[in-house]
Amino acid sequence: MSDPRVIVCAGGGGVGKTTTSAALALALAARGHRTLIVTIDPARRLAGAMGVPITDVVTRVPMPSGGDRLWALMPDPRRSMRTFIDHLFADEPEAKERVLANKLYIGLADAAAGVHELVAMNLVARAATDGDFDVIVIDTAPSRHAIDFVTYPARLAALLGGRTVSWIAGLAQRAGGEAPAPKGLRSWGTGRVEHLLARVTGPNLVRDTADLFGDLALVRERFVALTRRASELLLGDRVAYALVAAPTAAARDDVLFLAARLEKLGRRPRAVVLNRADTHPAPWARALREGRAVGPAITEVLDALEQERRSRATAADGLSSELRRQLPWASVVRLPYVEATAPEAIVAALSAELDAHLAALLPDAG
Amino acid sequence: MTTPRTPPRSLAPAVLVMGKGGVGKTTVAAALATLEAETRGRAVLVEFGDGESGRRALGAAHRGVEHLVITPAEAIQRGATPLFGSATLAKLALGNFAMRPLLRAAPAIRELAMLESVRQVVAARPGVRVVVDMPATGHAVAWLRTAKQGREFLGSGPMFELCDRVARELVAPGCASIVVVTLPERLVLEETLELCESVALDPGLEVARVVVNRVPLPLSREGLADARALAASGGALAEPAAALVSVLEAREAASEGAAAAMEVFARGPHAVWRVPLAPVDPSARDVARWLRAEGAA
Repeated sequence: MSDPRVIVCAGGGGVGKTTTSAALALALAARGHRTLIVTIDPARRLAGAMGVPITDVVTRVPMPSGGDRLWALMPDPRRSMRTFIDHLFADEPEAKERVLANKLYIGLADAAAGVHELVAMNLVARAATDGDFDVIVIDTAPSRHAIDFVTYPARLAALLGGRTVSWIAGLAQRAGGEAPAPKGLRSWGTGRVEHLLARVTGPNLVRDTADLFGDLALVRERFVALTRRASELLLGDRVAYALVAAPTAAARDDVLFLAARLEKLGRRPRAVVLNRADTHPAPWARALREGRAVGPAITEVLDALEQERRSRATAADGLSSELRRQLPWASVVRLPYVEATAPEAIVAALSAELDAHLAALLPDAG
Repeated sequence: MTTPRTPPRSLAPAVLVMGKGGVGKTTVAAALATLEAETRGRAVLVEFGDGESGRRALGAAHRGVEHLVITPAEAIQRGATPLFGSATLAKLALGNFAMRPLLRAAPAIRELAMLESVRQVVAARPGVRVVVDMPATGHAVAWLRTAKQGREFLGSGPMFELCDRVARELVAPGCASIVVVTLPERLVLEETLELCESVALDPGLEVARVVVNRVPLPLSREGLADARALAASGGALAEPAAALVSVLEAREAASEGAAAAMEVFARGPHAVWRVPLAPVDPSARDVARWLRAEGAA
């Protein structure tokens, strides 16, 4: 059994990234690939439309065609920190109780960016091992920093493994008057800094920080092991990055920003999916326009819709030539604007459009 | 029957613009600053990050608007200087081998520092309204809570005082007003209502205005009726007509959703402003004009 191929979808907010990712997963499943769609920041609207609960469990998604090759994983961001602590401290129940009672932890729990991505990726890593998927589509959070989380494991591991933890522990002891300050010329600067920090932050923060980090250091090995597989999945050579955009200036800036972030990680987007970028009037609009029995009220509405389509298309033409210039290695996939009341109707329509572009989006089989 | 409405309360010196990603928050923030500068001569637009989006949204309409960009590194430096007594000592402490990875990994410190920077901006410009383009929703509420949490947790010391100052002088009724930007879609509106309740509960700020952005203008009713008739006719054009019906119905649903939202929000203490849907990016000036028409000036 080989590793699944992974498509990471990233983009700014409001460009239809989650809908596009779902449509892509559906298109892949319809072509016979056993596909898992993972939504890092699940929109309840889409979860509801797909009939998927927001939980840590991989769930089968019924396909409109009746197939059985699509699964979804939509972990709840609000539960992540707790899940993370449960995983990390599985073998250290006492330390776990201390961490959960730590005031600093309680304060950080709902503000800690990146933890949810890590937790989600650990679930993905497990699903990849247990689930025998051909392709995993990852819908990242709608942010310019959506892909930064691939670097968190290394960053946190460095923090836990480095000198910071022991230094903070020493600082806390000295702030509590339990240990003497280090002596000698070399330590003068350090001692001074410690003194300053303790004075500024007060003893509570230093003590709780030291306790928290002390307990985290206990599980460092486990932490590194948990995150290594996630990093491999995200940075390995069976991964393709697809950036999702729409013809707006904000979306263009987001895509170029994300491409630059990827470049820093030594990666390049394989494709940019441009939503709301219809190149032609829809076939049904053409049919109505050519029909004889169509009255003036309908014609008027068709004219108004066509005018809107043209202004979108002009903006999309501009953006797509700019993207071709700036990211010549990425294919640009243009999708039409789909207006429908039901989210599942939009997903189905976009998935039919994406079917012709799967080769441009899938990473090489390797 | 309409519920009698009290006129909306005037906005506080700091206006925090919130909303989920992609709802047009930056453009609305830029429009509010533009409108304020047009009315009172001066305004500040604060943005976190690289500053491109605010600059672009402001476009040529930036006359009288001071555009400030706050990055985490600057904010930490700026917030820490008074704590340590001098910029040099702050640099020494923050540049410490152990502090650097800690600052990079600990999120609440950055957020607190950025709020402190906003507080300093407001304090330095009495009488000038400061419009802040906040980060996307869930994160923004957590941000606003950091000051109070820090205060409770620290108990004493200079950092406690910093948290206390931010909590009393920025994240407090009368000091900051919340403007929430939302879209006329049922679930987005539900999330917005939750957001309003959540900020009112903790940190105890009232949402002063709700901006319903991208409200679609319904296309002709007659066109929809004719398309429905054609779809039901069973002729060769029935199928294309059904596709048109589904597009028009989606618009109807969105504009009805917007109307329902107006009803719900209008019952609360906040004024509701609508901004129409444009096929491509509107400028801050366009949005400012629409807001003015909604009674925002």
